[in-house]
Amino acid sequence: MTRPAKLLKALVTPRNRGVTSVSSFSKKNRIAYLIILPTVILSSIFVVVPIVQTLWISFTNQVLAGGQNRKTAFIGLKNYKGLAHDPHFLNSFRVTLIYAVLNIICSVGAGLVTALIVNKKFKGRGIVRGILTMPWAFPDVASAIIFVWILNAAFGVIGYFNQWLPFNTQGGWLTSSPLAFISVVGMSMWKTFPFYSIVFLSALQGVPEDLVEAATVDGASWFQRFKTVVFPAIRPTFILLCVLAFIFAFRQFSMIYLTTGGGPDETTQTLTISVFLTAFKFFDSAVASATGVFGLIVTAGVALIFLYFQAKQDKEQ
Amino acid sequence: MAIVRGSSKRYLAYDFLRYLVIIVMSVLVAFPIYWMILTALQDPNVTLQYPPSFYPKSPNLLGFHQLFTDNPMGRWLLNSAFVASVATAVTTTFGILGAYALSNFRWRGKILFSFILLFTQMMPEVLVIIPIYEIFAKFHLTNDLIALAFLHSAFVVPVCIWILKPAFRGIPKEVNEAAQIDGCSQMKILQKIVIPICSPAIIAVGVVAFFASWGDFLWGVTMISDRNLFPASVGLASTISQLNTPVQELLSGAFVYGLPPVILYIFVQRYVISGLTAGAIKG
Repeated sequence: MTRPAKLLKALVTPRNRGVTSVSSFSKKNRIAYLIILPTVILSSIFVVVPIVQTLWISFTNQVLAGGQNRKTAFIGLKNYKGLAHDPHFLNSFRVTLIYAVLNIICSVGAGLVTALIVNKKFKGRGIVRGILTMPWAFPDVASAIIFVWILNAAFGVIGYFNQWLPFNTQGGWLTSSPLAFISVVGMSMWKTFPFYSIVFLSALQGVPEDLVEAATVDGASWFQRFKTVVFPAIRPTFILLCVLAFIFAFRQFSMIYLTTGGGPDETTQTLTISVFLTAFKFFDSAVASATGVFGLIVTAGVALIFLYFQAKQDKEQ
Repeated sequence: MAIVRGSSKRYLAYDFLRYLVIIVMSVLVAFPIYWMILTALQDPNVTLQYPPSFYPKSPNLLGFHQLFTDNPMGRWLLNSAFVASVATAVTTTFGILGAYALSNFRWRGKILFSFILLFTQMMPEVLVIIPIYEIFAKFHLTNDLIALAFLHSAFVVPVCIWILKPAFRGIPKEVNEAAQIDGCSQMKILQKIVIPICSPAIIAVGVVAFFASWGDFLWGVTMISDRNLFPASVGLASTISQLNTPVQELLSGAFVYGLPPVILYIFVQRYVISGLTAGAIKG
Protein backbone atom coordinates (compact mmCIF):
# COMPACT_ATOMS: atom_id res chain seq x y z
CA MET A 1 0.00 0.00 0.00
CA THR A 2 1.24 3.40 -0.91
CA ARG A 3 2.06 6.01 1.65
CA PRO A 4 -0.29 8.66 0.22
CA ALA A 5 -3.09 6.14 0.10
CA LYS A 6 -2.40 5.13 3.68
CA LEU A 7 -2.51 8.71 4.86
CA LEU A 8 -5.57 9.43 2.79
CA LYS A 9 -7.33 6.45 4.19
CA ALA A 10 -6.51 7.53 7.71
CA LEU A 11 -7.92 10.93 6.87
CA VAL A 12 -11.16 9.65 5.44
CA THR A 13 -11.89 6.74 7.76
CA PRO A 14 -10.11 7.43 11.04
CA ARG A 15 -12.26 5.05 13.08
CA ASN A 16 -11.43 2.00 11.00
CA ARG A 17 -7.74 2.28 11.74
CA GLY A 18 -6.06 -1.10 11.64
CA VAL A 19 -9.12 -3.10 10.66
CA THR A 20 -8.29 -4.12 7.14
CA SER A 21 -11.37 -6.10 6.30
CA VAL A 22 -13.71 -3.27 7.17
CA SER A 23 -11.70 -0.39 5.77
CA SER A 24 -11.05 -2.11 2.46
CA PHE A 25 -14.75 -2.04 1.77
CA SER A 26 -15.13 1.60 2.70
CA LYS A 27 -17.10 3.63 0.25
CA LYS A 28 -14.08 5.36 -1.23
CA ASN A 29 -12.29 2.11 -2.01
CA ARG A 30 -15.29 0.43 -3.56
CA ILE A 31 -14.64 2.31 -6.79
CA ALA A 32 -11.31 0.49 -7.11
CA TYR A 33 -13.16 -2.71 -7.94
CA LEU A 34 -15.07 -0.93 -10.65
CA ILE A 35 -12.05 0.59 -12.36
CA ILE A 36 -9.98 -2.58 -12.11
CA LEU A 37 -12.79 -4.60 -13.70
CA PRO A 38 -11.87 -4.07 -17.39
CA THR A 39 -8.31 -5.26 -16.80
CA VAL A 40 -9.50 -8.18 -14.70
CA ILE A 41 -11.89 -9.30 -17.45
CA LEU A 42 -9.23 -8.90 -20.13
CA SER A 43 -6.62 -10.78 -18.09
CA SER A 44 -9.10 -13.51 -17.21
CA ILE A 45 -10.05 -14.17 -20.82
CA PHE A 46 -6.56 -14.05 -22.26
CA VAL A 47 -4.29 -15.01 -19.38
CA VAL A 48 -5.83 -16.74 -16.38
CA VAL A 49 -8.31 -19.00 -18.17
CA PRO A 50 -5.80 -19.98 -20.88
CA ILE A 51 -3.20 -20.89 -18.26
CA VAL A 52 -5.70 -23.14 -16.48
CA GLN A 53 -6.69 -24.62 -19.83
CA THR A 54 -3.08 -25.20 -20.83
CA LEU A 55 -2.60 -27.03 -17.56
CA TRP A 56 -5.67 -29.17 -18.25
CA ILE A 57 -4.71 -29.95 -21.86
CA SER A 58 -1.25 -31.00 -20.69
CA PHE A 59 -2.89 -33.83 -18.72
CA THR A 60 -4.81 -35.11 -21.77
CA ASN A 61 -3.97 -36.53 -25.17
CA GLN A 62 -5.71 -33.76 -27.09
CA VAL A 63 -4.71 -32.90 -30.64
CA LEU A 64 -5.32 -29.57 -32.34
CA ALA A 65 -8.57 -28.98 -34.28
CA GLY A 66 -8.84 -31.34 -37.22
CA GLY A 67 -8.22 -34.50 -35.27
CA GLN A 68 -11.55 -34.37 -33.47
CA ASN A 69 -12.58 -37.84 -34.55
CA ARG A 70 -10.34 -39.10 -31.75
CA LYS A 71 -11.77 -38.73 -28.28
CA THR A 72 -9.71 -36.68 -25.87
CA ALA A 73 -8.88 -38.56 -22.68
CA PHE A 74 -7.26 -37.73 -19.39
CA ILE A 75 -3.88 -39.42 -19.28
CA GLY A 76 -2.38 -37.94 -16.13
CA LEU A 77 1.30 -37.17 -16.07
CA LYS A 78 2.11 -39.17 -19.16
CA ASN A 79 2.96 -36.11 -21.25
CA TYR A 80 5.37 -34.88 -18.61
CA LYS A 81 6.98 -38.30 -18.28
CA GLY A 82 7.32 -38.29 -22.05
CA LEU A 83 9.03 -34.89 -21.96
CA ALA A 84 11.68 -36.16 -19.59
CA HIS A 85 12.88 -38.53 -22.29
CA ASP A 86 12.03 -36.36 -25.30
CA PRO A 87 15.31 -35.33 -26.96
CA HIS A 88 13.56 -32.45 -28.76
CA PHE A 89 12.27 -31.00 -25.51
CA LEU A 90 15.52 -31.52 -23.62
CA ASN A 91 17.41 -29.90 -26.46
CA SER A 92 15.09 -26.89 -26.60
CA PHE A 93 15.34 -26.40 -22.85
CA ARG A 94 19.13 -26.51 -23.01
CA VAL A 95 19.17 -24.10 -25.98
CA THR A 96 16.86 -21.69 -24.15
CA LEU A 97 18.97 -21.76 -20.98
CA ILE A 98 22.24 -21.12 -22.83
CA TYR A 99 20.52 -18.42 -24.87
CA ALA A 100 19.18 -16.82 -21.68
CA VAL A 101 22.55 -16.83 -19.93
CA LEU A 102 24.30 -15.42 -23.01
CA ASN A 103 21.61 -12.74 -23.21
CA ILE A 104 22.38 -11.69 -19.66
CA ILE A 105 26.15 -11.71 -20.17
CA CYS A 106 26.21 -10.05 -23.59
CA SER A 107 23.25 -7.69 -23.54
CA VAL A 108 23.23 -6.58 -19.90
CA GLY A 109 27.04 -6.51 -19.91
CA ALA A 110 27.26 -4.46 -23.10
CA GLY A 111 24.45 -2.22 -21.87
CA LEU A 112 26.28 -1.50 -18.61
CA VAL A 113 29.64 -0.87 -20.28
CA THR A 114 28.00 1.42 -22.85
CA ALA A 115 26.18 3.37 -20.16
CA LEU A 116 29.41 3.83 -18.16
CA ILE A 117 31.16 5.16 -21.25
CA VAL A 118 28.35 7.41 -22.43
CA ASN A 119 27.52 8.70 -18.96
CA LYS A 120 29.81 11.72 -19.11
CA LYS A 121 28.60 14.63 -21.22
CA PHE A 122 30.08 14.84 -24.71
CA LYS A 123 29.30 16.38 -28.05
CA GLY A 124 26.58 14.54 -29.96
CA ARG A 125 25.29 12.71 -26.90
CA GLY A 126 21.70 13.27 -28.02
CA ILE A 127 22.39 11.66 -31.39
CA VAL A 128 24.08 8.66 -29.78
CA ARG A 129 21.12 8.27 -27.44
CA GLY A 130 18.79 8.39 -30.44
CA ILE A 131 20.80 5.73 -32.28
CA LEU A 132 20.87 3.57 -29.18
CA THR A 133 17.09 3.45 -28.89
CA MET A 134 16.44 2.78 -32.56
CA PRO A 135 16.69 -1.04 -32.41
CA TRP A 136 14.22 -1.08 -29.54
CA ALA A 137 11.68 0.90 -31.58
CA PHE A 138 12.28 -1.21 -34.66
CA PRO A 139 9.71 -4.02 -35.15
CA ASP A 140 10.91 -7.64 -34.89
CA VAL A 141 9.72 -8.70 -38.33
CA ALA A 142 11.53 -5.80 -40.01
CA SER A 143 14.68 -6.64 -38.01
CA ALA A 144 14.37 -10.27 -39.09
CA ILE A 145 14.15 -9.23 -42.75
CA ILE A 146 17.26 -7.06 -42.39
CA PHE A 147 19.26 -9.85 -40.76
CA VAL A 148 18.08 -12.48 -43.23
CA TRP A 149 19.49 -10.20 -45.91
CA ILE A 150 22.70 -9.17 -44.13
CA LEU A 151 23.50 -12.76 -43.16
CA ASN A 152 22.46 -14.26 -46.49
CA ALA A 153 24.99 -16.94 -47.41
CA ALA A 154 25.34 -15.98 -51.07
CA PHE A 155 24.79 -12.22 -51.29
CA GLY A 156 24.72 -10.90 -47.74
CA VAL A 157 27.11 -8.11 -46.79
CA ILE A 158 28.46 -10.41 -44.06
CA GLY A 159 30.30 -12.23 -46.87
CA TYR A 160 32.50 -9.18 -47.22
CA PHE A 161 33.52 -9.30 -43.56
CA ASN A 162 33.88 -13.09 -43.38
CA GLN A 163 37.34 -12.90 -44.91
CA TRP A 164 38.70 -11.22 -41.77
CA LEU A 165 37.21 -13.73 -39.38
CA PRO A 166 39.49 -16.32 -37.81
CA PHE A 167 37.00 -19.17 -38.30
CA ASN A 168 35.26 -20.93 -41.14
CA THR A 169 31.92 -19.45 -42.22
CA GLN A 170 31.38 -21.70 -45.22
CA GLY A 171 28.01 -23.10 -44.15
CA GLY A 172 26.37 -19.68 -43.93
CA TRP A 173 25.51 -17.69 -40.82
CA LEU A 174 21.90 -18.79 -40.54
CA THR A 175 22.19 -22.30 -41.88
CA SER A 176 25.11 -23.94 -40.11
CA SER A 177 25.89 -24.77 -36.52
CA PRO A 178 27.09 -23.10 -34.34
CA LEU A 179 26.96 -19.94 -36.48
CA ALA A 180 23.15 -19.87 -36.47
CA PHE A 181 23.04 -19.82 -32.68
CA ILE A 182 25.72 -17.11 -32.56
CA SER A 183 23.64 -15.12 -35.05
CA VAL A 184 20.54 -15.44 -32.89
CA VAL A 185 22.43 -14.24 -29.82
CA GLY A 186 23.92 -11.42 -31.88
CA MET A 187 20.54 -10.32 -33.20
CA SER A 188 19.05 -10.37 -29.70
CA MET A 189 21.98 -8.35 -28.46
CA TRP A 190 21.49 -5.75 -31.20
CA LYS A 191 17.82 -5.56 -30.27
CA THR A 192 18.18 -5.27 -26.49
CA PHE A 193 21.55 -3.98 -25.32
CA PRO A 194 21.06 -0.40 -26.57
CA PHE A 195 17.82 -0.16 -24.61
CA TYR A 196 19.44 -1.62 -21.51
CA SER A 197 22.18 0.98 -21.79
CA ILE A 198 19.56 3.76 -21.78
CA VAL A 199 18.00 2.30 -18.64
CA PHE A 200 21.43 2.00 -16.99
CA LEU A 201 22.18 5.55 -18.00
CA SER A 202 19.12 6.80 -16.13
CA ALA A 203 20.08 4.73 -13.10
CA LEU A 204 23.59 6.18 -13.14
CA GLN A 205 22.11 9.64 -12.63
CA GLY A 206 21.23 8.46 -9.15
CA VAL A 207 24.83 7.62 -8.21
CA PRO A 208 25.93 9.99 -5.44
CA GLU A 209 28.53 12.16 -7.18
CA ASP A 210 30.15 13.37 -3.94
CA LEU A 211 30.86 9.80 -2.88
CA VAL A 212 32.56 9.11 -6.19
CA GLU A 213 34.64 12.28 -5.74
CA ALA A 214 35.53 11.34 -2.17
CA ALA A 215 36.60 7.87 -3.24
CA THR A 216 38.72 9.38 -6.00
CA VAL A 217 40.41 11.71 -3.52
CA ASP A 218 41.07 8.74 -1.24
CA GLY A 219 42.92 7.12 -4.13
CA ALA A 220 40.40 4.40 -4.96
CA SER A 221 41.01 2.80 -8.33
CA TRP A 222 38.38 2.88 -11.06
CA PHE A 223 37.34 -0.66 -10.26
CA GLN A 224 37.18 -0.01 -6.50
CA ARG A 225 34.98 3.01 -7.07
CA PHE A 226 32.73 0.98 -9.34
CA LYS A 227 32.46 -1.85 -6.84
CA THR A 228 31.84 0.19 -3.71
CA VAL A 229 29.99 3.29 -4.87
CA VAL A 230 28.58 2.99 -8.37
CA PHE A 231 27.37 -0.58 -8.50
CA PRO A 232 25.44 -0.59 -5.19
CA ALA A 233 23.50 2.44 -6.45
CA ILE A 234 22.46 0.74 -9.68
CA ARG A 235 22.04 -2.78 -8.33
CA PRO A 236 18.21 -2.80 -8.43
CA THR A 237 18.33 -1.81 -12.10
CA PHE A 238 20.99 -4.44 -12.73
CA ILE A 239 18.85 -7.18 -11.20
CA LEU A 240 15.77 -6.01 -13.09
CA LEU A 241 17.58 -6.04 -16.42
CA CYS A 242 19.07 -9.48 -15.75
CA VAL A 243 15.55 -10.76 -15.15
CA LEU A 244 14.31 -9.05 -18.33
CA ALA A 245 17.20 -10.47 -20.38
CA PHE A 246 16.57 -13.95 -19.00
CA ILE A 247 12.85 -13.75 -19.72
CA PHE A 248 13.59 -12.36 -23.17
CA ALA A 249 15.06 -15.74 -24.12
CA PHE A 250 11.82 -17.43 -23.07
CA ARG A 251 9.71 -14.94 -25.01
CA GLN A 252 11.53 -14.11 -28.23
CA PHE A 253 9.73 -15.70 -31.12
CA SER A 254 9.51 -13.75 -34.38
CA MET A 255 13.19 -12.99 -34.89
CA ILE A 256 14.26 -16.61 -34.42
CA TYR A 257 11.28 -18.07 -36.24
CA LEU A 258 11.77 -15.88 -39.31
CA THR A 259 15.55 -16.13 -39.55
CA THR A 260 16.57 -19.68 -38.63
CA GLY A 261 13.16 -21.24 -37.98
CA GLY A 262 14.75 -23.11 -35.08
CA GLY A 263 17.32 -24.83 -37.27
CA PRO A 264 19.78 -26.08 -38.31
CA ASP A 265 19.28 -29.37 -36.48
CA GLU A 266 17.23 -27.60 -33.79
CA THR A 267 20.31 -25.72 -32.55
CA THR A 268 18.27 -22.50 -32.28
CA GLN A 269 15.00 -24.14 -31.28
CA THR A 270 14.07 -22.41 -28.05
CA LEU A 271 11.09 -23.49 -25.95
CA THR A 272 8.96 -20.83 -27.62
CA ILE A 273 9.72 -22.11 -31.11
CA SER A 274 9.28 -25.68 -29.92
CA VAL A 275 5.80 -25.00 -28.49
CA PHE A 276 4.72 -23.23 -31.66
CA LEU A 277 5.99 -25.96 -33.99
CA THR A 278 4.63 -28.80 -31.85
CA ALA A 279 1.22 -27.15 -31.79
CA PHE A 280 0.83 -25.79 -35.30
CA LYS A 281 3.08 -28.05 -37.37
CA PHE A 282 2.64 -31.38 -35.60
CA PHE A 283 -0.81 -30.55 -34.13
CA ASP A 284 0.14 -32.14 -30.82
CA SER A 285 -1.55 -29.71 -28.40
CA ALA A 286 -1.01 -31.96 -25.43
CA VAL A 287 2.77 -32.15 -25.67
CA ALA A 288 2.95 -28.47 -26.64
CA SER A 289 0.90 -27.60 -23.54
CA ALA A 290 3.10 -29.69 -21.28
CA THR A 291 6.14 -27.91 -22.71
CA GLY A 292 4.32 -24.62 -22.16
CA VAL A 293 3.52 -25.43 -18.54
CA PHE A 294 7.17 -26.23 -17.98
CA GLY A 295 8.15 -22.84 -19.40
CA LEU A 296 5.49 -21.18 -17.23
CA ILE A 297 6.93 -22.80 -14.11
CA VAL A 298 10.44 -21.59 -14.94
CA THR A 299 9.33 -18.03 -15.68
CA ALA A 300 7.00 -17.94 -12.66
CA GLY A 301 9.94 -19.07 -10.53
CA VAL A 302 12.06 -16.24 -11.85
CA ALA A 303 9.19 -13.80 -11.28
CA LEU A 304 8.90 -14.97 -7.66
CA ILE A 305 12.64 -14.64 -7.02
CA PHE A 306 12.49 -11.17 -8.50
CA LEU A 307 9.51 -10.22 -6.31
CA TYR A 308 11.41 -11.51 -3.29
CA PHE A 309 14.38 -9.26 -4.07
CA GLN A 310 12.06 -6.31 -4.63
CA ALA A 311 10.24 -6.85 -1.36
CA LYS A 312 13.56 -7.12 0.46
CA GLN A 313 14.77 -3.94 -1.16
CA ASP A 314 11.53 -2.11 -0.29
CA LYS A 315 11.96 -3.17 3.30
CA GLU A 316 15.49 -1.82 3.42
CA GLN A 317 14.38 1.58 2.21
CA MET B 1 31.70 8.60 -13.77
CA ALA B 2 34.67 10.79 -13.29
CA ILE B 3 37.79 9.51 -14.91
CA VAL B 4 41.10 10.05 -13.12
CA ARG B 5 42.59 13.22 -14.45
CA GLY B 6 46.27 12.70 -13.64
CA SER B 7 47.59 14.88 -16.41
CA SER B 8 46.02 16.65 -19.33
CA LYS B 9 47.78 14.29 -21.73
CA ARG B 10 46.30 11.26 -20.05
CA TYR B 11 42.93 13.00 -20.00
CA LEU B 12 43.17 13.56 -23.72
CA ALA B 13 44.00 9.94 -24.38
CA TYR B 14 41.02 8.79 -22.33
CA ASP B 15 38.78 11.16 -24.19
CA PHE B 16 40.03 9.98 -27.54
CA LEU B 17 39.49 6.35 -26.56
CA ARG B 18 36.01 7.11 -25.30
CA TYR B 19 35.00 8.81 -28.52
CA LEU B 20 36.42 5.92 -30.50
CA VAL B 21 34.36 3.39 -28.54
CA ILE B 22 31.25 5.55 -28.88
CA ILE B 23 31.66 5.94 -32.62
CA VAL B 24 32.38 2.26 -33.27
CA MET B 25 29.41 1.22 -31.16
CA SER B 26 27.03 3.70 -32.80
CA VAL B 27 28.10 2.52 -36.25
CA LEU B 28 27.56 -1.12 -35.28
CA VAL B 29 24.10 -0.38 -33.88
CA ALA B 30 23.04 1.81 -36.79
CA PHE B 31 24.53 -0.36 -39.55
CA PRO B 32 21.66 -2.86 -40.02
CA ILE B 33 19.16 -0.02 -40.41
CA TYR B 34 21.50 1.87 -42.74
CA TRP B 35 21.95 -1.28 -44.78
CA MET B 36 18.18 -1.71 -45.05
CA ILE B 37 17.73 1.84 -46.35
CA LEU B 38 20.59 1.39 -48.80
CA THR B 39 19.27 -1.89 -50.22
CA ALA B 40 15.71 -0.56 -50.40
CA LEU B 41 16.76 2.45 -52.45
CA GLN B 42 19.41 0.89 -54.61
CA ASP B 43 19.27 -0.83 -57.98
CA PRO B 44 19.46 -4.63 -57.43
CA ASN B 45 22.32 -4.92 -59.91
CA VAL B 46 24.44 -2.69 -57.69
CA THR B 47 23.28 -4.49 -54.55
CA LEU B 48 24.41 -7.89 -55.77
CA GLN B 49 27.89 -6.69 -56.76
CA TYR B 50 30.96 -7.88 -54.91
CA PRO B 51 32.57 -6.16 -53.11
CA PRO B 52 29.46 -4.39 -51.88
CA SER B 53 29.12 -0.64 -52.13
CA PHE B 54 28.74 1.05 -48.75
CA TYR B 55 27.10 4.19 -50.11
CA PRO B 56 24.08 4.49 -52.42
CA LYS B 57 24.73 4.08 -56.13
CA SER B 58 22.05 4.61 -58.80
CA PRO B 59 19.19 4.98 -56.32
CA ASN B 60 15.61 4.32 -57.41
CA LEU B 61 12.19 3.71 -55.91
CA LEU B 62 11.36 0.57 -57.91
CA GLY B 63 11.37 -1.57 -54.77
CA PHE B 64 8.50 0.41 -53.29
CA HIS B 65 6.62 0.23 -56.57
CA GLN B 66 7.01 -3.56 -56.70
CA LEU B 67 6.10 -3.85 -53.04
CA PHE B 68 2.76 -2.13 -53.45
CA THR B 69 1.85 -3.74 -56.78
CA ASP B 70 2.86 -7.34 -55.94
CA ASN B 71 1.14 -7.35 -52.55
CA PRO B 72 -1.81 -5.57 -50.91
CA MET B 73 0.83 -3.71 -48.87
CA GLY B 74 -1.28 -0.57 -48.44
CA ARG B 75 -4.07 -2.72 -47.08
CA TRP B 76 -1.69 -4.52 -44.71
CA LEU B 77 -0.32 -1.25 -43.36
CA LEU B 78 -3.85 0.06 -42.80
CA ASN B 79 -4.76 -3.17 -40.99
CA SER B 80 -1.74 -2.76 -38.71
CA ALA B 81 -2.55 0.89 -38.12
CA PHE B 82 -6.14 0.02 -37.24
CA VAL B 83 -5.21 -2.82 -34.87
CA ALA B 84 -2.47 -0.77 -33.23
CA SER B 85 -4.78 2.24 -32.75
CA VAL B 86 -7.52 0.17 -31.13
CA ALA B 87 -4.96 -1.66 -28.98
CA THR B 88 -3.37 1.62 -27.90
CA ALA B 89 -6.73 3.16 -26.96
CA VAL B 90 -7.81 0.08 -25.01
CA THR B 91 -4.43 -0.38 -23.30
CA THR B 92 -4.09 3.25 -22.28
CA THR B 93 -7.61 3.40 -20.85
CA PHE B 94 -7.34 0.12 -18.95
CA GLY B 95 -3.79 0.96 -17.89
CA ILE B 96 -4.74 4.32 -16.41
CA LEU B 97 -7.67 2.83 -14.50
CA GLY B 98 -5.64 -0.13 -13.29
CA ALA B 99 -2.68 1.94 -12.18
CA TYR B 100 -5.02 4.34 -10.37
CA ALA B 101 -6.68 1.46 -8.54
CA LEU B 102 -3.26 0.18 -7.48
CA SER B 103 -1.80 3.51 -6.48
CA ASN B 104 -4.70 5.24 -4.78
CA PHE B 105 -6.96 2.67 -3.23
CA ARG B 106 -6.92 -0.10 -0.76
CA TRP B 107 -8.78 -3.24 -1.69
CA ARG B 108 -8.85 -6.97 -1.23
CA GLY B 109 -6.97 -9.01 -3.80
CA LYS B 110 -4.62 -6.16 -4.61
CA ILE B 111 -1.50 -8.26 -4.02
CA LEU B 112 -2.87 -11.17 -6.04
CA PHE B 113 -3.78 -8.77 -8.81
CA SER B 114 -0.30 -7.23 -8.80
CA PHE B 115 1.26 -10.65 -8.97
CA ILE B 116 -0.93 -11.72 -11.88
CA LEU B 117 0.06 -8.51 -13.65
CA LEU B 118 3.76 -9.06 -13.10
CA PHE B 119 3.45 -12.65 -14.14
CA THR B 120 1.53 -11.80 -17.31
CA GLN B 121 4.24 -9.40 -18.23
CA MET B 122 6.95 -12.00 -17.77
CA MET B 123 5.02 -14.93 -19.16
CA PRO B 124 6.00 -16.04 -22.66
CA GLU B 125 2.81 -15.51 -24.66
CA VAL B 126 3.39 -18.51 -26.88
CA LEU B 127 2.95 -20.84 -23.91
CA VAL B 128 -0.78 -20.17 -23.78
CA ILE B 129 -1.24 -20.01 -27.52
CA ILE B 130 -3.27 -23.22 -27.82
CA PRO B 131 -6.19 -22.37 -25.53
CA ILE B 132 -6.33 -18.83 -26.87
CA TYR B 133 -6.41 -20.17 -30.40
CA GLU B 134 -9.20 -22.53 -29.37
CA ILE B 135 -11.19 -19.70 -27.76
CA PHE B 136 -10.81 -17.61 -30.92
CA ALA B 137 -11.82 -20.53 -33.15
CA LYS B 138 -14.83 -21.37 -30.97
CA PHE B 139 -16.23 -17.83 -30.99
CA HIS B 140 -15.31 -17.18 -34.64
CA LEU B 141 -12.85 -14.49 -33.67
CA THR B 142 -10.09 -15.62 -36.02
CA ASN B 143 -9.71 -13.14 -38.87
CA ASP B 144 -11.21 -10.45 -36.63
CA LEU B 145 -8.94 -7.44 -36.28
CA ILE B 146 -10.73 -5.97 -33.25
CA ALA B 147 -10.40 -9.24 -31.37
CA LEU B 148 -6.71 -9.23 -32.29
CA ALA B 149 -6.35 -5.71 -30.90
CA PHE B 150 -7.88 -6.75 -27.56
CA LEU B 151 -5.57 -9.75 -27.48
CA HIS B 152 -2.59 -7.44 -27.96
CA SER B 153 -3.87 -5.21 -25.16
CA ALA B 154 -4.20 -8.08 -22.72
CA PHE B 155 -0.45 -8.66 -22.87
CA VAL B 156 0.60 -5.01 -22.76
CA VAL B 157 -1.73 -3.63 -20.07
CA PRO B 158 0.47 -5.10 -17.29
CA VAL B 159 3.61 -3.30 -18.49
CA CYS B 160 1.62 -0.11 -18.80
CA ILE B 161 0.23 -0.36 -15.28
CA TRP B 162 3.76 -1.05 -14.12
CA ILE B 163 5.02 2.15 -15.78
CA LEU B 164 2.09 4.29 -14.64
CA LYS B 165 1.93 3.18 -11.02
CA PRO B 166 5.12 4.91 -9.82
CA ALA B 167 4.18 8.02 -11.81
CA PHE B 168 0.76 8.17 -10.14
CA ARG B 169 2.32 7.57 -6.74
CA GLY B 170 4.70 10.43 -7.32
CA ILE B 171 1.89 12.99 -7.05
CA PRO B 172 2.15 14.72 -3.66
CA LYS B 173 -0.58 13.55 -1.31
CA GLU B 174 -1.39 17.16 -0.38
CA VAL B 175 -2.70 17.74 -3.91
CA ASN B 176 -5.04 14.82 -3.59
CA GLU B 177 -6.20 15.84 -0.11
CA ALA B 178 -6.86 19.40 -1.17
CA ALA B 179 -8.97 18.20 -4.09
CA GLN B 180 -10.94 15.94 -1.77
CA ILE B 181 -11.63 18.76 0.63
CA ASP B 182 -12.84 20.81 -2.33
CA GLY B 183 -15.36 18.04 -2.95
CA CYS B 184 -13.71 16.28 -5.86
CA SER B 185 -14.71 12.64 -6.31
CA GLN B 186 -11.96 10.09 -6.87
CA MET B 187 -12.73 9.87 -10.58
CA LYS B 188 -12.69 13.67 -10.85
CA ILE B 189 -9.26 13.70 -9.22
CA LEU B 190 -8.05 11.17 -11.76
CA GLN B 191 -9.45 13.18 -14.61
CA LYS B 192 -8.51 16.68 -13.50
CA ILE B 193 -5.27 16.11 -11.61
CA VAL B 194 -3.64 12.72 -12.10
CA ILE B 195 -3.95 12.43 -15.89
CA PRO B 196 -2.73 15.98 -16.68
CA ILE B 197 0.23 15.73 -14.27
CA CYS B 198 1.24 12.29 -15.52
CA SER B 199 0.74 12.95 -19.21
CA PRO B 200 4.41 12.18 -20.08
CA ALA B 201 4.11 8.73 -18.53
CA ILE B 202 0.75 8.22 -20.25
CA ILE B 203 2.28 9.14 -23.62
CA ALA B 204 5.07 6.65 -22.91
CA VAL B 205 2.47 4.00 -22.18
CA GLY B 206 0.62 4.78 -25.40
CA VAL B 207 3.84 4.44 -27.37
CA VAL B 208 4.70 1.14 -25.71
CA ALA B 209 1.23 -0.20 -26.53
CA PHE B 210 1.45 1.01 -30.11
CA PHE B 211 4.89 -0.56 -30.62
CA ALA B 212 3.80 -3.86 -29.11
CA SER B 213 0.74 -4.12 -31.31
CA TRP B 214 2.39 -2.82 -34.48
CA GLY B 215 5.35 -5.15 -33.96
CA ASP B 216 3.38 -8.26 -33.05
CA PHE B 217 3.85 -11.24 -35.32
CA LEU B 218 3.01 -14.27 -33.18
CA TRP B 219 -0.69 -13.50 -32.60
CA GLY B 220 -1.22 -12.12 -36.07
CA VAL B 221 0.18 -15.21 -37.77
CA THR B 222 -1.82 -17.48 -35.49
CA MET B 223 -5.20 -15.76 -35.70
CA ILE B 224 -5.32 -14.15 -39.13
CA SER B 225 -5.35 -16.40 -42.18
CA ASP B 226 -7.18 -14.15 -44.67
CA ARG B 227 -4.46 -12.53 -46.79
CA ASN B 228 -6.42 -9.28 -47.06
CA LEU B 229 -6.67 -8.99 -43.29
CA PHE B 230 -2.97 -9.60 -42.58
CA PRO B 231 -1.29 -7.04 -40.38
CA ALA B 232 1.85 -5.70 -42.09
CA SER B 233 4.11 -7.92 -39.96
CA VAL B 234 2.40 -11.11 -41.11
CA GLY B 235 2.14 -9.90 -44.70
CA LEU B 236 5.83 -9.08 -44.86
CA ALA B 237 6.79 -12.36 -43.24
CA SER B 238 4.83 -14.11 -45.99
CA THR B 239 7.02 -12.33 -48.56
CA ILE B 240 10.21 -13.59 -46.86
CA SER B 241 9.13 -17.16 -47.37
CA GLN B 242 8.44 -16.57 -51.06
CA LEU B 243 11.88 -17.23 -52.46
CA ASN B 244 11.32 -15.22 -55.60
CA THR B 245 10.68 -11.92 -53.80
CA PRO B 246 13.38 -9.51 -55.07
CA VAL B 247 15.65 -8.33 -52.29
CA GLN B 248 14.98 -4.66 -53.05
CA GLU B 249 11.25 -5.25 -52.63
CA LEU B 250 11.79 -7.19 -49.39
CA LEU B 251 13.93 -4.47 -47.82
CA SER B 252 11.53 -1.78 -49.07
CA GLY B 253 8.88 -3.66 -47.11
CA ALA B 254 11.02 -3.62 -43.97
CA PHE B 255 11.61 0.09 -44.57
CA VAL B 256 7.94 1.03 -44.97
CA TYR B 257 6.85 -1.14 -42.06
CA GLY B 258 9.77 -0.32 -39.76
CA LEU B 259 9.74 3.40 -40.28
CA PRO B 260 6.46 4.51 -38.62
CA PRO B 261 7.51 3.41 -35.11
CA VAL B 262 10.91 5.04 -35.52
CA ILE B 263 9.34 8.33 -36.65
CA LEU B 264 6.79 8.18 -33.87
CA TYR B 265 9.61 7.42 -31.50
CA ILE B 266 11.64 10.48 -32.55
CA PHE B 267 8.69 12.73 -31.66
CA VAL B 268 8.01 11.25 -28.26
CA GLN B 269 11.53 10.13 -27.32
CA ARG B 270 11.73 12.46 -24.34
CA TYR B 271 8.60 11.09 -22.69
CA VAL B 272 9.40 7.49 -23.44
CA ILE B 273 12.88 7.53 -21.94
CA SER B 274 11.79 9.27 -18.76
CA GLY B 275 8.56 7.29 -18.47
CA LEU B 276 10.07 3.89 -19.14
CA THR B 277 13.16 4.30 -17.05
CA ALA B 278 11.16 5.63 -14.13
CA GLY B 279 8.99 2.53 -14.32
CA ALA B 280 11.95 0.24 -14.76
CA ILE B 281 14.03 1.67 -11.96
CA LYS B 282 11.39 2.12 -9.32
CA GLY B 283 9.76 -1.14 -10.38
